[in-house]
Amino acid sequence: MARRRFSDTLVLADGKICCGACERPLAAADRSWKEQAALTVVPVASLPGAGLGTDSRIVLRRFACSGCGSLLETEVALPEDPFLEDRIVVAG
Amino acid sequence: MDPITFSIIRHRLFRVVEEAVMTLKHVSGSAITNEGHDLMVSLYRADGSLLMGGVGFLHHLTSAAEACKAIIRRFDGQIHEGDLFLLNDPYTAALHTSDIYLIAPIHYEGRLVAWSACFVHVFDIGAMNPGGFAPDAVDIFTEGFSSPGLKLIDRGEMRQDVWDTILNMVRGPEMVALDLRSMIACNNVAGERLIALFEKYGAETVDHACRMLIEQSEQRLRERLRELPDGQWQSRQYLEVKGETYRVVLTMRKQGDELVFDFTGSSPQSKYSVNCSKWASLGGLFAPLFPLLCYDITWNEGVIRPVRMIAPEGSIVNCARPAPVSVATVGAIQSVNNAACATIGKMLAASERYAEESTAVWHANHFAIFMFGTNQRGGLSIGILTETFAGAGGARHVGDGVDIGGEIPNPISRMANVETIEATFPVRYLFRRRLKDSGGPGRHRGGTGGEMMIVAHDAPDGGIDYVVSGKGTKFPQSDGLAGGYPGALNDYVWIHADESDATAFAGSLADMKGRHEPISWGVYPLRGKDGLYVRWNGGGGLGDPLDRPAEQVVNDVTAGAISTRAAEEVYGVAFKDGVLDATLTETRRRDLKARRLQEVA
Repeated sequence: MARRRFSDTLVLADGKICCGACERPLAAADRSWKEQAALTVVPVASLPGAGLGTDSRIVLRRFACSGCGSLLETEVALPEDPFLEDRIVVAG
Repeated sequence: MDPITFSIIRHRLFRVVEEAVMTLKHVSGSAITNEGHDLMVSLYRADGSLLMGGVGFLHHLTSAAEACKAIIRRFDGQIHEGDLFLLNDPYTAALHTSDIYLIAPIHYEGRLVAWSACFVHVFDIGAMNPGGFAPDAVDIFTEGFSSPGLKLIDRGEMRQDVWDTILNMVRGPEMVALDLRSMIACNNVAGERLIALFEKYGAETVDHACRMLIEQSEQRLRERLRELPDGQWQSRQYLEVKGETYRVVLTMRKQGDELVFDFTGSSPQSKYSVNCSKWASLGGLFAPLFPLLCYDITWNEGVIRPVRMIAPEGSIVNCARPAPVSVATVGAIQSVNNAACATIGKMLAASERYAEESTAVWHANHFAIFMFGTNQRGGLSIGILTETFAGAGGARHVGDGVDIGGEIPNPISRMANVETIEATFPVRYLFRRRLKDSGGPGRHRGGTGGEMMIVAHDAPDGGIDYVVSGKGTKFPQSDGLAGGYPGALNDYVWIHADESDATAFAGSLADMKGRHEPISWGVYPLRGKDGLYVRWNGGGGLGDPLDRPAEQVVNDVTAGAISTRAAEEVYGVAFKDGVLDATLTETRRRDLKARRLQEVA
């Protein structure tokens, strides 16, 4: 199976974005893998080290592999904002 | 050209810049310059294009190139040997008014062959608030003296009328004069050394080497870009001022040997001075690009050619005159730095060859507090608390971020020691140290930021005042990478203490009695027994915190870098009687992973 990096935690294999730890396919290379990931959302204000003035709306989105639970990516976001989307162009 | 001569000339050019930086530091009397290294020196070709970017704040390299070009346009036919020009208008090229560019043409045998340019953040620029960062400013007209280009020295003769006019518009004119003289000395040294290079090798040879150097940089960056995967990467930064939220949104696209930074989707410009002009945004994206993609490539015009920026007009990253921009360097520009660092980090992480160069976002929020008032000697002191430059390293693919580890946009940033600051301002430090739980959790932890508290001391006026143009108290900005968490946020707390509350040796914020008021924007007093507490952000983490070796987590707890709570809840480490319990840790980490699947949002 042809395999290359998508990120530090994800790989591209056979035209699919897969978990780098368990190789579970998450999405086609040209689709959003985040839609298929296990997403947990935690208020930044609840994390250790949060500041006194942390905005109550801001959250940390944690995208984990829906198979093995490995954390694949995080992003800081206000609830109304879309997922950040990264793409790798697959030749051919 | 033979490669040895080429290499010697390249190194000499770099040494010219290095020596000019040393001159700037040694002549300047400002802690922000000679302690914090808020400075930059670079060399430019006769047409103003960047030839040899120096160290210091890297977002100035491209802006100073534009400043050279603006001077060339404005003074066409009036540029002579021995001239020196000044430019600090953000809508022409500068980042904000208090970062003044002094630009000198360099002539050899009567012909213009190059330019040197440098900047320092001057003692004061006459803005509404002392020190240059002006949270009270409503437009560029309230941000102090601003010039799109003037001639300060004409054929070796100081234009005294111009000099006096500038100094007549600023606070502490003797200190601003020293700042300007340090930059004049810097340009003189750069010019003399460059002319010596021309004399040794001849104009034709040096010119040839300079052209080759730029071509080499372009070729090498394009080769590197071709080695990296094609694709697009996104990042987003939030800024908050007085209840209003702004976004800097970046989509970075890489195709073949070209890179596009597209800020479409960023917020409209603000009524507050966190905006930045397009030249500032361009500089902002190059600040992380130079060290992350061009760590072994000479920083010059060749690096700029493969890169394009899209910044919507009227947005926070390309504001329209007369929007205020005095806080830009720690506002929108720093957010552009962070966003570009995040996308470049992700692109590197996608490459087999360059993954080990990837990094989470470093120190993302300057706290930038300017103190001003009468010092213990009865004179005027204005200056920054240089801890804002202390920074925090982002976690890297190869290891943890460095605690209090500086920042990406300025490879030589640093802070003054406590005694220097106490000698400059009538204040006393109660403590200054690393901040627990500030480094973003991850397989590799982000470097910690710091915390400190000061009180007034030996102050003829009973204290001093300070300007806070802080962001980063509402939203974390040191993004993590590949599952790493962001670094913690900034905080600024004004402790109102009366005589009965006085705490001479408080060891923490909690120890400091009195009413604690979080602040972030405006001018505040530090008088009587009051205190000012500041904490600054850590770097972003990299990778899943549950993958961090448990022994390293225990070391972090022992060293005070993280709390037991973070060790248990975020890193999944279990203790029994204060000692690591490996079996329980394994179980806890398995449970935490399983919970990620059960608690899906």
